[in-house]
Amino acid sequence: MADDKDVLRDVWFGRIPTCFTLNQDEVTEREAEAYYLLLPRVSYLTLVTDKVKKHFLKVMRAEDVEEMWFEYEGTPLKWHYPIGVLFDLHASNSVLPWSITVHFKNFPDRDLLHCPSSSVIEAHFMSSIKEADALKHKSQVVNDMQKKDHKQLWMGLQNDKFDQFWAMNRKLMEYPTEEGGFRYIPFRIYQAMTGNDRPFIQKLFRPVSPEGNAYTLGDLLKEMYPAAITNDGEQKRYQVVIHGIEPLLETPLQWLSEHLSHPDNFLHICVVPTPSD
Amino acid sequence: MSDTAESPTETQKEETQPPSDDSTTNDEKKKKKLMSKHTKTRIDVLLKAVGDTPIMKTKKWAVDRGRTVQSLSQFISRFLKLDANEQLFIYVNQSFAPSPDQEVGVLFDCFGSDGKLVLHYCKSQAWG
Repeated sequence: MADDKDVLRDVWFGRIPTCFTLNQDEVTEREAEAYYLLLPRVSYLTLVTDKVKKHFLKVMRAEDVEEMWFEYEGTPLKWHYPIGVLFDLHASNSVLPWSITVHFKNFPDRDLLHCPSSSVIEAHFMSSIKEADALKHKSQVVNDMQKKDHKQLWMGLQNDKFDQFWAMNRKLMEYPTEEGGFRYIPFRIYQAMTGNDRPFIQKLFRPVSPEGNAYTLGDLLKEMYPAAITNDGEQKRYQVVIHGIEPLLETPLQWLSEHLSHPDNFLHICVVPTPSD
Repeated sequence: MSDTAESPTETQKEETQPPSDDSTTNDEKKKKKLMSKHTKTRIDVLLKAVGDTPIMKTKKWAVDRGRTVQSLSQFISRFLKLDANEQLFIYVNQSFAPSPDQEVGVLFDCFGSDGKLVLHYCKSQAWG
């Protein structure tokens, strides 16, 4: 059961100081000033940047404005990935604030999904929760919830209401005591290196061994991405980052799933190269 | 994502082909036996219609692992000759709609059963 409330609050209230700058090629009527904002790690870009849009629209004509999208050092940022994941993956070892470039033209269809309204974000968020519960509980818990309970999860995220969200989410973090954990752990492992053959690793993985031993983060990585683990005597090549920190590899996976999952109920793990100082 | 673009992460070197028919040749069957689950580059997908959505004449397809849900959805729409403005919703386990950029190979690994991934498709929202 998720009873370590302090960790849950720290995860929920994690923020990334960000500086939004308008792309130089956008047509403006006067100079656009940068806009500074603290972004919630656990939310989504298109959900929390209305103010950014309003700010830049002040210096632009309506006909020059199409769907807003964001880019960091040439990489379009996928709004449907949690903000904290985008930061850890692309900018975790760079100087703060995180410098994001704002675009209103030339939407990169090949790289980004469109986000015409917040209901698209809600649908995506709820689908992630349902997918996670399919893995954790064969969808039994999420299906037993009423529509208003689902709505409460979304409203909690949208309005940054920790208590409202967790009043419902705690049900998704329960499991039969005799099982020792969820059926499978919902996780995604992202690799920061370019030229990947896949955007992330997601496979079936149980939190408890057949003998009843708790699997750890290290066990998961050994199975899914052994290159991320440093062997004895080797120099550390990679950092394994969750919510901006490097949890000990001995941490039980079940505990991580209950406490360090995002509101979408997935454990998002970023493997990034260790910075060379 | 645009209609014709493949997922940016796809590295399939072979020319994109429509998913093959169920009538696999003997050579392909031998190939399938030799390949282990992990090296298999194609997975079996079973498409099921929901409600009054038209039923596909061919329901079983061998699909490249790296193919995205969006790409498959576009294929179904073209196959069923749906209008350009008609939406298609794809569901896994009759419970969630995967992200359009999700790879079918990942869905198969996590939600496949009896050697295939069952996907339900519908012209309207079925499971929210």
